[in-house]
Amino acid sequence: MKKSLSVALTLGLAASALAACGSNNNNSGSSASPSATPSASPSASSSAPASQAASGEKVTLTYAIWDSNQEKGLRTIADEFEAANPNIKINIEVTGWADYWTMLEAGATGGSLPDVFWMHSNEIYRYASNGMLLDLNDRIASSQAVKLENFPEGLNQIYNFQGKQYAVPKDFDTIGLWYNKTMFDAAGLKHPDESWTWDDLYSAAKALTKDGVYGFLAPLHNQEGYYNFVYQNGGTIITDDKKSGYDDPKTIEALEFYVNFVIEGLSPAVFDDAERAELIQNGKVAMGYFGSWNLSGFTANEFMAKNFDVAVLPKKEKQASIYNGLGNAIAFNTKHPDEAWKFVEYLSSKEGQDRQAELGVAISAYNGAADLWVSSNKTFNIKAFVDMVDYGVIRPYSNTTAVWEDKAYEALGPAFTGKATVEEAAKNAAKIMNESLAQEK
Amino acid sequence: MNKQIARRISKQTWGEWSWGWFLIAPTIIGLIVLNIIPIIQTAYLSLFKSGDFGRGNIYVGLDNYRKMFSDVQVWHSVGNTLLYALLVVPTSIAISLIVAVFLNGKICGKSIYRTIYFIPMVAAPAAVTMVWRWLYNEHFGLINYLLSRIGADAVDWVGSPKLSLISIAIIGIWSVIGYNMVLLLAGLQEIPKDFYEASDIDGASRFRQFFVITLPLLSPTLFFVVVTSIIQAMQVFDVIYMMIDVTSPAYEHTVSLVYLFYNNSFKYSNKGYGSAIVILLLAIILIITFIQMRAQKKWVNYM
Repeated sequence: MKKSLSVALTLGLAASALAACGSNNNNSGSSASPSATPSASPSASSSAPASQAASGEKVTLTYAIWDSNQEKGLRTIADEFEAANPNIKINIEVTGWADYWTMLEAGATGGSLPDVFWMHSNEIYRYASNGMLLDLNDRIASSQAVKLENFPEGLNQIYNFQGKQYAVPKDFDTIGLWYNKTMFDAAGLKHPDESWTWDDLYSAAKALTKDGVYGFLAPLHNQEGYYNFVYQNGGTIITDDKKSGYDDPKTIEALEFYVNFVIEGLSPAVFDDAERAELIQNGKVAMGYFGSWNLSGFTANEFMAKNFDVAVLPKKEKQASIYNGLGNAIAFNTKHPDEAWKFVEYLSSKEGQDRQAELGVAISAYNGAADLWVSSNKTFNIKAFVDMVDYGVIRPYSNTTAVWEDKAYEALGPAFTGKATVEEAAKNAAKIMNESLAQEK
Repeated sequence: MNKQIARRISKQTWGEWSWGWFLIAPTIIGLIVLNIIPIIQTAYLSLFKSGDFGRGNIYVGLDNYRKMFSDVQVWHSVGNTLLYALLVVPTSIAISLIVAVFLNGKICGKSIYRTIYFIPMVAAPAAVTMVWRWLYNEHFGLINYLLSRIGADAVDWVGSPKLSLISIAIIGIWSVIGYNMVLLLAGLQEIPKDFYEASDIDGASRFRQFFVITLPLLSPTLFFVVVTSIIQAMQVFDVIYMMIDVTSPAYEHTVSLVYLFYNNSFKYSNKGYGSAIVILLLAIILIITFIQMRAQKKWVNYM
């Protein structure tokens, strides 16, 4: 009796153990979204009756995004859209990057995707190949406002799966060299420009490293870090036949140059994502690579606005900057496909794209709209971001990007801490990445 | 006659039983729906290579387990999880026991202290971790600022592979003390005052009273606290998830089983493998709890 009781108790406690970890995850998932958007919960509850209403009545669409910096500008655009279409209401829901994909996956599995949402090159394959997105081919063909030829071909291609267009490009981003002009002037150095090479970067970093300030920021970060160097050196991250490029001698050479900043003490060893911006915004580093999406955050920061400016990336064999763009996608099972398309159509029209650029939300993907974006910000020389599009390299991706990107991080980490040579770490990254790629369907 | 009595008793017993079942039904149904069924589903899922969005699962037998046992990272995480439990459980229980004993005595402002100790339990773990992250920050954190005032070098509390698990354990200890304290306080108040009065007359010191009266009579509560604390510690996730990213050099030295399960299930969308990891956690917790249940005879004193 006592024995069976203790067995039962053991099982019971262990059961509560499993259940508790399940509920933990729920908590972390659900607590993330309200904290990101305080307005989300009341509006979400009001959307339920609206979406049940018959068509012709007021329709509420959810628009899920991951960048809170863009929320304000997109809200303005959504307000204008609502004014023109009084029967459609747009709810913008912001969820941070990491939780966004967890949220979206749960929505896709449970059949409750947001009506309209952002798509990314890392994830498009999974969503498109499983039929989670609305095929936009016919709607684009019959639309007056949306013509794919008005968008850069490379971006269209990301969201095209087996001939079907699953999202319309929303914006693009490139990576720029942010530098502390006050420190450059104090050291009597020439400001970076398009003639800069790796050698200029290195000697400037060396000259600026003093008094507790590091000359350059070389974090363990791919898109806003070593990817740029790899492609400038003629290396590659993923080859056309889906093999890892980490064991390419050119890639290794670029990584060696990059990691050397940390080893020589010209850059702090930084592994944490948030720490990078903290360091540059507090004047701890004189130069750093940051994407164009940081613009509104950096403009709002008084120290950055006063002391910093941005230039195109220095070159080696050639010029390169990692280039990527988001797309607006519609859920395959949305209750209001026509209204959702109407919204996406507006966002992708010349008018919507121009507004997005004027408001400084992001660099609109629509050809020519980028110039409007350039004039939206007088604080920094943001023309540099647009100049780099000509030689931009689309952020490397495959069908399971998220998996091998993390594995590569794990493998490269020891090179930054000096536990392994760059060559060992890179070859290890190539091995792990190839194993991961081999499992792709 | 005898037969009739027997039937009447059995009828009565039956009535009692059905009342009993009726009264525990809400809990039982909750357990089955929220715990038992998910466990079975998790075990079932661990035999599959999961397809995207819950579709197209492929049966692979024990492949996930085979892969798991040869995965170094899984063994790292088992070690990290056990080490975390080892760091957190004894320290937190010792501290909460001391605090509980003091707050059970006669000091003014007792309820204020009790509230203060309980507050970390009420705060959301994510918010708590955000605050601690700032305290621990290598360049701008309060702790390193204070260290610099006394002339010490900056310490990388979170990023250093040697320190990070200890830093995380400190948060774990801090946030669990209040809860354990309340349980132990309840246990302390169950102890009849007579024992203390009698031992006072016999001339026992406070110290001796603690070891001879308090500790043995508190052992049932203490046992419960130990068992639940270990289970809770084994499931550590949110603090590590908030503090340590995959890119961190401390990742290998801090990743816990639940974090690894989360990454595999939700980040890499490999739910089958994630399920296998969580079944391993279940097995470990099961074994530890079973050992404790058997060992309780040696030290738990049910008066």
